Amino acid sequence: MLLPKFDFHEPTTIEEACQIMAELGQKAKLIAGGTDLIVNMKRKVLSPEHLVSLSRIDALKNVDLSDGPLRIGACVTAAALAESEGIKRTFSAFSKGASVLGTPLIRNLATIAGNLVSARPAADLPPSLMAYGAKVVLKKSAGERSVALEDFFRGPGQTVVGKDEILTEILIDKPLGYTGAGYIKLGVRKTLEISLVNVAAFISLDSQDGSIQRARIVLGAVAPIPIRVPSAEQILVGEKPTETLFVRAGETAAQDSRPIDDFRGSAEYRRDMIEVLTRRALEMAFNEARSHE
Amino acid sequence: MSEYSIINTRAPRLDAPDKATGRATFIDDLNMPGMLFGAILQSPLAHAKILNIDTSRAKKLPGVKAVVTAEEAGLVKYGVSPARYDETLYCHEKVRYVGDEIAAVAAVDLETALEAVSLIRVDYDDLPALFTIEEAMVEGAPALHEGFPQNICAEVHQEFGDVEAAFNECDLVRTDKFISKRQDAAFIEPHGCIADYDLSGHLTLHTSTQVPHYVMRTVAMVMGLPVGDVRVVKPYVGGGFGPKAEATPLEMSACILSMKTVRPVKMNYTREQVFLHSRARHQFIHTMTTGVKKDGTLMALKNECYLDGGAYTSFGIATVYYAGSLLGGPYKLPNMKYDGWRIYTNKPVCGAQRGHGGVAARAAWEHQLDIIAEELGMDPIELRLKNVMVAGDTTCNELNMSSLGMKECVEAVRQGSKWNAKRGKMPRGKGIGMACGFFVSGAGYPIYRSDTYHSTVLIKLSEDGGTVNVYTGSAEIGQGSDTTMAMIAAEALGVRLDDVRVASGDTEFGVDLGAYSSRQTLMTGHATKEAAEDVKRQVLEVLSEKLNTPVDGIDIKDGLIIFKSKDVDFSAIRARYIKEHRGWSDLPRGNDLTFREAARTAYLARGSIVGTGKYKPPELGGKYKGAAVGTSPAYGCSAQVVEVTVDMETGKITVDKMTDAHDCGFAINRTSVEGQMQGSLCMGLGEAMFEEVKFDEDGRILNANLGEYKIPTALDMPNVEAIIVESNEPNGPFGAKEVGEGAIIPTIPAILNAVYDATGVRINELPLTPERVYMALKAKVEKGDTRD
Ligand SMILES: Cc1cc2nc3c(=O)[nH]c(=O)nc-3n(C[C@H](O)[C@H](O)[C@H](O)COP(=O)(O)OP(=O)(O)OC[C@H]3O[C@@H](n4cnc5c(N)ncnc54)[C@H](O)[C@@H]3O)c2cc1C
Repeated sequence: MLLPKFDFHEPTTIEEACQIMAELGQKAKLIAGGTDLIVNMKRKVLSPEHLVSLSRIDALKNVDLSDGPLRIGACVTAAALAESEGIKRTFSAFSKGASVLGTPLIRNLATIAGNLVSARPAADLPPSLMAYGAKVVLKKSAGERSVALEDFFRGPGQTVVGKDEILTEILIDKPLGYTGAGYIKLGVRKTLEISLVNVAAFISLDSQDGSIQRARIVLGAVAPIPIRVPSAEQILVGEKPTETLFVRAGETAAQDSRPIDDFRGSAEYRRDMIEVLTRRALEMAFNEARSHE
Repeated sequence: MSEYSIINTRAPRLDAPDKATGRATFIDDLNMPGMLFGAILQSPLAHAKILNIDTSRAKKLPGVKAVVTAEEAGLVKYGVSPARYDETLYCHEKVRYVGDEIAAVAAVDLETALEAVSLIRVDYDDLPALFTIEEAMVEGAPALHEGFPQNICAEVHQEFGDVEAAFNECDLVRTDKFISKRQDAAFIEPHGCIADYDLSGHLTLHTSTQVPHYVMRTVAMVMGLPVGDVRVVKPYVGGGFGPKAEATPLEMSACILSMKTVRPVKMNYTREQVFLHSRARHQFIHTMTTGVKKDGTLMALKNECYLDGGAYTSFGIATVYYAGSLLGGPYKLPNMKYDGWRIYTNKPVCGAQRGHGGVAARAAWEHQLDIIAEELGMDPIELRLKNVMVAGDTTCNELNMSSLGMKECVEAVRQGSKWNAKRGKMPRGKGIGMACGFFVSGAGYPIYRSDTYHSTVLIKLSEDGGTVNVYTGSAEIGQGSDTTMAMIAAEALGVRLDDVRVASGDTEFGVDLGAYSSRQTLMTGHATKEAAEDVKRQVLEVLSEKLNTPVDGIDIKDGLIIFKSKDVDFSAIRARYIKEHRGWSDLPRGNDLTFREAARTAYLARGSIVGTGKYKPPELGGKYKGAAVGTSPAYGCSAQVVEVTVDMETGKITVDKMTDAHDCGFAINRTSVEGQMQGSLCMGLGEAMFEEVKFDEDGRILNANLGEYKIPTALDMPNVEAIIVESNEPNGPFGAKEVGEGAIIPTIPAILNAVYDATGVRINELPLTPERVYMALKAKVEKGDTRD
């Protein structure tokens, strides 16, 4: 499999990159780690005339854990995310997602923005980021906007990012009080897997032994985009966390989801696994919430 | 410790430094001046008539040097077994699977070659395509090949003893069905080759193959060249496992394109093309009926098997025979009936893969034996021990177990895994299971009918006396055969391992049938040993003449000459050697005459010292139809215990530990033997738990890549306790026999049996994906069966 021919651009600032994208528009594609894009180019699914690399823009490679929201630059790799102790401490479910993405070789290249913009239904970073309520910043020469990740995905491979826009940053508010989250990926083997189902759950408690204040459940690989399950979340809010409650939430999540059959797995199995994994992710979230502050 | 200095140790591999540093040359590292690049046009349809092929636009593309179709290549039929040559290099009247070859192009670079391929226009007329055994066997179904009604490519009907009569005497008779899935061998290096046809009409093919000898013959036959004008050279190869054990359309396309252009032509399969070429493990559907006595005595087995063969025969005739014959042992089984059918379908062609034909059969049977043990209330190990054969036994289908450490293997894994402490005492969700198996140590007969030697080896001492050069046509494909031959040569000759160099994988070095059927250690090993002994004899003869001492009073050990008598005076030899090497810093000294001095002396007396060795098995097996398949001069055997944890809510299995004991006769290199055991177990684990080539409704492969075709990763493989059992095989060199394939045979059933122990659910279909296990657990709950 050979790559189609293309011109290669290597801007060193965000402004320069925005300018190139403004000029080239449809004809260009941004490339970060290339682990998604290059595969599609080799398969001739995509053959952009220009590739605009983000790898030389140092401003996109920072993780800012200081005051305020966590800010992650677009080009931070899955490996860097998985290795960050600060992220592991505060955003364990997201750290988990990064640590189970692909293999060590893929993680060394794969970036967070690439994972979001490629918009694969089974991707490992969106569920936990949505559960934590993350936002993304989109920039173009004419200005910038911020979009909640929940409103970001349009369909497989489709997002709200415009042809001339660059995703520059991901922002997540630090969870306060008794909060916790969990992420579970189910595949056939132990690693190098496309999720059959993945589930992220987030809950906050009003006190260490109190009731659930807020809950978010996000399912991956069971719909064209990662989805929240409001019906299951509503069951939890205001209730004391118990095993039966989590079982009910899992059942509701399974009932209200519409997974499909494909060669990787059947809809029936996926639906049953939503039930199991939702319950387990909630248990993980609860255990963390209880011990957090 | 053994009486030997080199063999039975853990000598490091000869190729380790080159492979560890990236210096080892594989086919893709090779380039030649003026080299062209080739590409193949493959059918996008599963079954269609070819109405017209128009290559005119491809030929006009600048940079294209040759375009070939059946018109240029001719219609010489070839295949694996001469009794069933059913392939032509390119399709002419019709295509039979998605991937069938239609044309090939050579151009100045790969981009141009691929573009030219895309410019070839083929007009097709769709034919109904048959994708399953059931569809293909329907009375009146369209025939893939003329003269094969119901698409039966081959069928086997054998009965040894009287199965029905034996069933009547049994206390328990049960029937179970078992379904395995089509595999890909997933070797890491895709096939590649460079064909180089020179101006004097000689064709040299450098290729990533397991069998230079067979490739040479097929290429000569299809190209219409005298076999003496074809040379096949194998660089380092990144694994084969069976699919590289036959000549490929890739190799023959490179050859014909090189002959047309008189320039070297390089060609490679992409990973997708590796899946399309396939020649890997068939899908097997076994129905087995086994009868036993109350005390566990095995009485009879009735085995019925259907194989989904794909569009051509390849190794398939042997495969369908092996699926029956390899159940003859390792248990005493007086009555066995086998009915096998290999069916043509419009899918890529299946062939031989590690454990050829015996893997699914063994999985089905050992799984059933476990059920029988449970019904009899016997420990599965006791059931097996009750029936194991011992050295000297012959199976009902006339395979002779000249050595057989089966009982020793079973005892070794029972101890090694602490079976007695664990079996029946593990919590729900955890389980332990075991199984046994045996396998040939080299096929008893070559693929084409012939009295040919299976291996010839040539050893030449360098004239300066320093080095022992071993020349063999055998194929180092990553399994370590070069190191094994070096060790055998060093031991037999009495030199140090460092003194030996091995040149292999070249048809100019002699005949060797290659790396398949786990044959090289035994067969090439025999020839190597004989050649080394021949060289040794010649050196000793010269010494005997020069030193006036009887030949049997001299020996060579660790690179030194050992004289029985104390008063042999070799000072003249030493003096002359030192004189010849005035100014050199590494002159021999000490009280012993060195091999270097002795070899130099032999050269001065006789010219170049060359020894030859050869091996072919004696006539083996019975006289019934198909008796040849399954014969071997020796059989390896193994027993395995597997421990698993099953997530009862998701169906996901974790293999926690594997204990494997393998009887390899005698371990030439202990590390290599363990390596083969580990590799086999890993491959078996993949087949048991993950692997399946899947198709869409048009016969296109859905998962022709190693992302979606899932072989085990390092994280899926547990620790393996590898126990070597040595039974000293009388027909093997230094007592050695196989380990390369036999070790995969018990893996799948050991996993199946462990999963049953953990879950209480029997699963008769592979692979054991989380979904399959989960659905089985769910079905059991829905049936209201709450028994653990
Ligand atoms: C073998 C293998 C295994 C994999 N396993 C997993 C897995 O387990 N889990 C998983 O989630 N994914 C997996 N992937 C998919 C892929 O690696 C990830 O989605 C990765 O995060 C993509 O990031 P990248 O930097 O490589 O993106 P690229 O390939 O560089 O880009 C992907 C897309 O995003 C766009 N893009 C990139 N950066 C920006 C930006 N800053 N702004 C706007 N658009 C941008 C590109 O134009 C392109 O369309 C795997 C891929 C491979 C090849």
